[in-house]
Amino acid sequence: MYNIFSLIFKYIFIVIIYLFILSIIRLIYLDIKGIGTVSLDNSIYLKLINRKDSLPFKIKEYYSLEDFVSLGRGNENKIIIKDPYISKNHLKIVEDEGNYYLEDLNSANGTYLNGDKIMDVVELKNGDRIRVGQVEFLYVNRE
Amino acid sequence: MLNRNVNYKVPRNLLVLFELMALLLLFIYDKDNLDKTTFISGISLIFTIYISNFILLRISTGDNYIFLIVTMLISIGIIMIYRIDKTIGMKQVIWVGMGIIVFFITYFIIKKIKGWKDWILVYGIVSIVLFILTLLLGTRTKGSINWISIGRFSFQPTEIIKLLMIFLIGSYYTNYEKYKEKKYGSYYLMGIIYVFIGFLFIQKDLGTVLIFYTIFITLQFIYEEDRKLILYNLLFFIVSGLAGFFMFDHVRIRFETWINPWAYIDNKGYQITQSLFAIAEGGFFGTGIGLGHPDFIPEVHTDFIFSAICEEMGIFTGIGIIMLFLILVYRGFKIAISQQDKFFRIVALGISILFGIQAFIIFGGVLKMIPLTGITIPFVSYGGSSMLSSFIALGILQVASEELDLEEVQNE
Repeated sequence: MYNIFSLIFKYIFIVIIYLFILSIIRLIYLDIKGIGTVSLDNSIYLKLINRKDSLPFKIKEYYSLEDFVSLGRGNENKIIIKDPYISKNHLKIVEDEGNYYLEDLNSANGTYLNGDKIMDVVELKNGDRIRVGQVEFLYVNRE
Repeated sequence: MLNRNVNYKVPRNLLVLFELMALLLLFIYDKDNLDKTTFISGISLIFTIYISNFILLRISTGDNYIFLIVTMLISIGIIMIYRIDKTIGMKQVIWVGMGIIVFFITYFIIKKIKGWKDWILVYGIVSIVLFILTLLLGTRTKGSINWISIGRFSFQPTEIIKLLMIFLIGSYYTNYEKYKEKKYGSYYLMGIIYVFIGFLFIQKDLGTVLIFYTIFITLQFIYEEDRKLILYNLLFFIVSGLAGFFMFDHVRIRFETWINPWAYIDNKGYQITQSLFAIAEGGFFGTGIGLGHPDFIPEVHTDFIFSAICEEMGIFTGIGIIMLFLILVYRGFKIAISQQDKFFRIVALGISILFGIQAFIIFGGVLKMIPLTGITIPFVSYGGSSMLSSFIALGILQVASEELDLEEVQNE
């Protein structure tokens, strides 16, 4: 009786151990995937200034910008950041004739551009620092 | 994003599933004398590991993988140790519980206290005091004096000295500029490490000498500006290796049994040949837990646990353990690379090398790839002081994985 159990379990154990290793390797892969490569195919992007490890939630090193990007805690946003200081729909960045405009969506804690709280729609320039919640991004436009 | 959050739970749940199934299997194996305390301690260990993994994700902003990997290694180890010997298995459960507590204590102490990098003298003096105590109070087992017994407890001071040495090298190279200006400044570190190695020679503990040398040479190779010191060091390494070979009988025996164990199969080659038989017997998937004969190997629960695992759980599990060590060491290097604080970067490197080299020496030893030296596999083998010191090292690594400079800025 025990022998049968033991024989079945040994296969299951090996399967579990390898699934465990694979899932960790996959997590590590996701962890290092964001480094460096994303920025190459798009010259307009947001770069994270905070050190990634210092933030207690998941965040990417780079977010490339398209013609419409929304940021917030809610799952319907293009950029989802689970920071408690970020509102459900926090801000949006819209492209218009080659220029990018930043607009706050009445968020609770506000959006700061180079240290100043923004009230209206602002045009973004290369090197601008955008702060939302605990996160700070650098706006890079290489065009 | 959502997908990734879900993924974090996958390895944690797999770990619990593995442990529960193992517990069930061990109870069926041992169903004639079921007892309540074993069951309760088994369940509570599984619970502790799960909760620790969960808490760590909340309190630590650093690496989340190293503790997971280590708990997997521990689970495999405990199953095997318990199957070989029930009482030793129960002791190991207690050691692991204490180890996890020590891990959290170390984590908070190392994080709270600043200034680890300036206490080079403390590390040196404490190490030498521990060495002298070992020589005065130590008991001789299997050719080396490396245990101190106080009452019922006995521990191996070299396990602590290993970590102190990493701290010492770390603080030396962090304040490298200061020492370099002094006359013969770059020889200070070499001097003190050679004092350590001299003590180890008196203790005849050559496995630990190998670990000390590897950590020292690697860190020196990375940080030393005076490159000829590394050559000296390598030269000394070869000389002391040869000296060990000619001075000590038990080193020569290890070497002979490595070259050809089959000639001495009935006496000094017995252990290694039994280990090879066990691994061969297991094949790809093993005989199944409880169905092999790992008890034929002497010292199976400490040095030769790897052979026992290969026999009963298969060479695939053996490869799995090696892969777990690979990702553990890889994470250690990743932590070292992304750490900005120089002291903790060196310490993280040192600890990763420590885990890596210990695993390498003993895996190589039991597989007859290199001459056998009796050291434990970190986290897998039975052994109280080895378990505690490995957990201390892991706690330090956990602190090193966090962004330390940033927190200082925020506090100001």
